[in-house]
Amino acid sequence: MSLPILPTPAPDPQQWLARFGDELYRFALGRVADADTAAELVQDTFVSALGALASFRGQASERTWLFVILKRKIIDHYRREARSPFVPLDLSPEHAPEAEFFRPADGHWREEQHPADWPGPSHDEGRGDLALEQQEFQNILRLCQQRLSAQQLAVFVLRFVEELPAEDICKELSLSPANYWVLVHRAKLHLRRCLEKNWLQAPVIA
Amino acid sequence: MSAIPSPLFNCRQATLLIERRADTPLPVRPRVQLWAHLRLCPYCRRYALQSARIARAARPAAEAVVPANLALPAVARARMQQLFDAHAGSGG
Repeated sequence: MSLPILPTPAPDPQQWLARFGDELYRFALGRVADADTAAELVQDTFVSALGALASFRGQASERTWLFVILKRKIIDHYRREARSPFVPLDLSPEHAPEAEFFRPADGHWREEQHPADWPGPSHDEGRGDLALEQQEFQNILRLCQQRLSAQQLAVFVLRFVEELPAEDICKELSLSPANYWVLVHRAKLHLRRCLEKNWLQAPVIA
Repeated sequence: MSAIPSPLFNCRQATLLIERRADTPLPVRPRVQLWAHLRLCPYCRRYALQSARIARAARPAAEAVVPANLALPAVARARMQQLFDAHAGSGG
């Protein structure tokens, strides 16, 4: 018995909003700062997808295809953000933002910036509030991210949330590898300090 | 490639190299110097652990902070529906 050759299912754009709209929106909202931007990215995704219907071949599901387009929109969003306003990177140690954290003279941590010891998951065994603590950490991390400069945030999200290779990020944002690492370093320095202030020193729920 | 400043006695350089080595293997000399620095410097050891923890938490945080039942706001949804109606109307 020969199997019938199934026709490639045609995409059905009239169903996209109902079937994938909320899911695409939640995905975008986890990756950008606000609801309006997230909704805009979803709309842009639909516009691009409608314009490219002819190129949809059915190898991937419509859902996968729409997510590929949305991810591209998120990268484009951060590329725009990182470029405006354009802030030239100041790599001289006296003026660089790192001077906030390290003494320019010898590059040692400033005393008031010494990283504190954070409680690790191993410290919490048997306390039963690990999930809660994890959630708290994640919430504060997200709040701290919003205080980064546009360039730092772009690099951080693309590298650690979108998990793009460093090489691709350099290409997308027109950064040299050295400037890319400077931005990752600054982003981590700020996030680390912000978490320490707001998470570590938050009152522990008994 | 430009010369990498020694991280041996410099926490600024050491923490920068900690970020850098997450993406690409360091040349031997800075790698050995960073190793030696981390043996001596408790603050940079903490930084290394905490930086990695932040990196690991970033994606789960992006997924977790959005409630699983959150829907597109009605205004945005209506705007998008118009888009699809127009597309259907154009016969395309």
